[in-house]
Amino acid sequence: MKNRKKVLAALMAGVMTLSMNTAVFAAEDGYAVKATNTDAKSKDNDLVIAIEGSVSSMDPANIPDTNAISATRGCYEMLITFNENQELEGQLAESWEVSEDSLTYTFHLREGVKFSDGTDFNAAAVVANYERIIDPENKLRQRRTYVVAQPDGTEKFRVESIETPDDYTVVFKLTEAWSPFINRMTQFCMISPAALEEYGNDIMNHPVGTGPFICTEWEEGDHTSFERNEDYWGEKASVDTVTIKEVPEAGSRTAMLQTGEADLVYPMPADQMAAIQGSDDVNVLAADSNIMRYVTLNMNLPELQDVKVRQAMNYAIDKDAYIQLMYAGNGKPATSVVPSIISGYKEQTPYTYDVEKAKELMKEAGYEDGFKLTLWGDNITQDVKGMTFVKQMLSQINIDVEVLPMESATISDKIYVEKDEAEVNMWYVNWSASDFTMDGSVRSLLYSDMCPPTSANTAYFSDEEFDKLLDEGLATADPEKQAEIYGKAQTIAWEAAPWLFLGNDQLLYAAKSYLSGAYVSPDGSFNFAHAELAQ
Amino acid sequence: MGKYFCKRVASAIPLLLVISFVVFMFIHMIPGDPARMIAGQDATKEDVEVVREQLGLNEPLLVQYGHYMKGLFTGDLGDSVKNGKTVVETIAPRLKPTIMLTVSAMIWATIIGIALGIISAVFHGRALDYIGMIIAISGISVPSFWLGLELIQGFSVALNWLPTGGLDSWQSYILPSITMGAGIMAVLGRFTRSTMLETMREDYVRTARAKGLKETLVVMRHAFKNSLIEIVTVAGLQIGGLLSGSVMAETVFSIPGLGRLLVDSINFRDYKVVQALLLFFAAEYIFINLIVDVLYGVINPKIRYN
Repeated sequence: MKNRKKVLAALMAGVMTLSMNTAVFAAEDGYAVKATNTDAKSKDNDLVIAIEGSVSSMDPANIPDTNAISATRGCYEMLITFNENQELEGQLAESWEVSEDSLTYTFHLREGVKFSDGTDFNAAAVVANYERIIDPENKLRQRRTYVVAQPDGTEKFRVESIETPDDYTVVFKLTEAWSPFINRMTQFCMISPAALEEYGNDIMNHPVGTGPFICTEWEEGDHTSFERNEDYWGEKASVDTVTIKEVPEAGSRTAMLQTGEADLVYPMPADQMAAIQGSDDVNVLAADSNIMRYVTLNMNLPELQDVKVRQAMNYAIDKDAYIQLMYAGNGKPATSVVPSIISGYKEQTPYTYDVEKAKELMKEAGYEDGFKLTLWGDNITQDVKGMTFVKQMLSQINIDVEVLPMESATISDKIYVEKDEAEVNMWYVNWSASDFTMDGSVRSLLYSDMCPPTSANTAYFSDEEFDKLLDEGLATADPEKQAEIYGKAQTIAWEAAPWLFLGNDQLLYAAKSYLSGAYVSPDGSFNFAHAELAQ
Repeated sequence: MGKYFCKRVASAIPLLLVISFVVFMFIHMIPGDPARMIAGQDATKEDVEVVREQLGLNEPLLVQYGHYMKGLFTGDLGDSVKNGKTVVETIAPRLKPTIMLTVSAMIWATIIGIALGIISAVFHGRALDYIGMIIAISGISVPSFWLGLELIQGFSVALNWLPTGGLDSWQSYILPSITMGAGIMAVLGRFTRSTMLETMREDYVRTARAKGLKETLVVMRHAFKNSLIEIVTVAGLQIGGLLSGSVMAETVFSIPGLGRLLVDSINFRDYKVVQALLLFFAAEYIFINLIVDVLYGVINPKIRYN
């Protein structure tokens, strides 16, 4: 009888947590919720991470999703990498230099590093990996970083030559200056050439790298397991094993954290935070992201041609309310066309929420009585909520928005059409440039050549000066010059308002308070190389 | 009977061919371009073209169907566009979890469902009947997604008796099986009850009672046995639905089964995996119906197969 009561009470508790409303939690010093029990201890030295999506590949040159980035980084390393503060630092390269003309990149490799199959890491391994990627037979996604398809069907190689003056020096010569090259090198992982020889593209099932862990099992759709690499060249990993579990349902992930089956869960939906309030040993953390949330305004439409209208629409949106509503306060209103984490970011004068000013601008543009527009976006709950918010805000200046949620692949089909067939008015969308470059963040969205069907400039924004600045930025690898050039480019786009600039959300993840050293990066990947479990 | 079986299997082949054609055409007609999905939103038109060519998507639909059929007969179902694994490699590891779960859900749901139905019918109009039907109606009305989450909250988080998911131990089967089977238990319970009530009004049941047979014998041998054909039909249809419709339980309990694979593959426009899965589900449905037909003969030897 006693037990039955316990079951009933437990079920009731479940009902109550599930039906609780989203409370408001704003992040302070990276913590959205801070654990009160800081002395908690882990019962073992095995790290379990529960994630939403799938690790769809363990081939670092053929990455279909961000989780695959996170998982492959357990056993693979690159020449250079971003550290926790998003600064470039050497990993398998001890140092590197870039020539004055931004055409030659020389990497000095770390000596004495071995792959987990016992073979040496050296310059020849770098060349073997590069050649594997550019071989069209291998059909690897990363090939596009180094080979650009031309409109006439030919291909242009970004790298003219790769030379190895000695066993531990690699020199990349580019065909023309391309500043994102250095950031893209943070995605260039080193696979053992001996293993590549043996397994070919089946290497995804037999990963062999130089990383702090060795991948012991990859079962797509279920889990990926690692054990400590005892022969690692650097500081050895603290945890014995790591298991990445794929747990698609948010409520189940939260439950795993509560029962201790998982030590870290990612992502942690804001609406689940109420559920973990009772646990005193769970931290909810917020990481700044490279996600830009915006609505594109088709500037070919007569109503949206006047810059005053587009600015008025920006003034009519309460960005703070947007962040509060959508991300329970875990985010920031947009302050430029890119998030602050992108290299070359420059803060712009905000379009502070001001309905009177917006109305005035609409009046000046001759649209006092407003007009009708459609708004496209993904049919997922969160996006529909955001679209409805935009609709309500714009109704204040008499713009009647019809919200049309669609499945993402359907939108894609409707977006990438010839200009005269374009039906898009407004598109509620987001963008994250995984290489953190300004070019990667804006070129495909705002460069005049990049209108659909070529790419995703659905604002049909076209500004000669802006294009020129982006090209100049691409041709210089000098960070100071880049900052100046990109600063100007951002101001042009910001003032022309081809988008409704909404915000940059933070990424929420939750971890047991006894876990340290594991974190989520701004690109949405998670890093567990230095994870420690307090015993 | 053997001849009948072979004939039925042979007649399934043209049906599967038609299904394969319909499935192929439908998948290729739904909006969404796999080449664009692979190349990424920032890819240029040229990049997308390169991918399309690699996948053979630039060929006319009928030609693509021809390749697909050729592959089907030579055992080559193609590769998943997501990571280059073959379709067989992609689907094979997902079969076991779904089948194990389906079987465990089906076993308890059938036993409890039928028992509930019989008890309700026997105690028609009395308290036990109402209790039985309340259980059955709850099973139908509670959404399996919600039920799954509640079971986790109760038995995993609060009581710490059972794991929240996965299929690592026998204990881990309990909650997903309950979640998956609840609806079927309810359907079978309701159906058994109404069929039994009808049968129990038949003359031969009255005769059996008049002969002075024990009530349990009357119920089990005369009433239940004669209701069995209809119960088996409904149970067969339910199993078919379970295999392809386990996506909810698989999602809540993080089980890498076929249902989740189907949803993921549709979202990624992984045509070849979707085609193979749909064809598999169709074949499985046909097969289960065949088993049901064969069972008719076992239950009632009077039924002859021609």
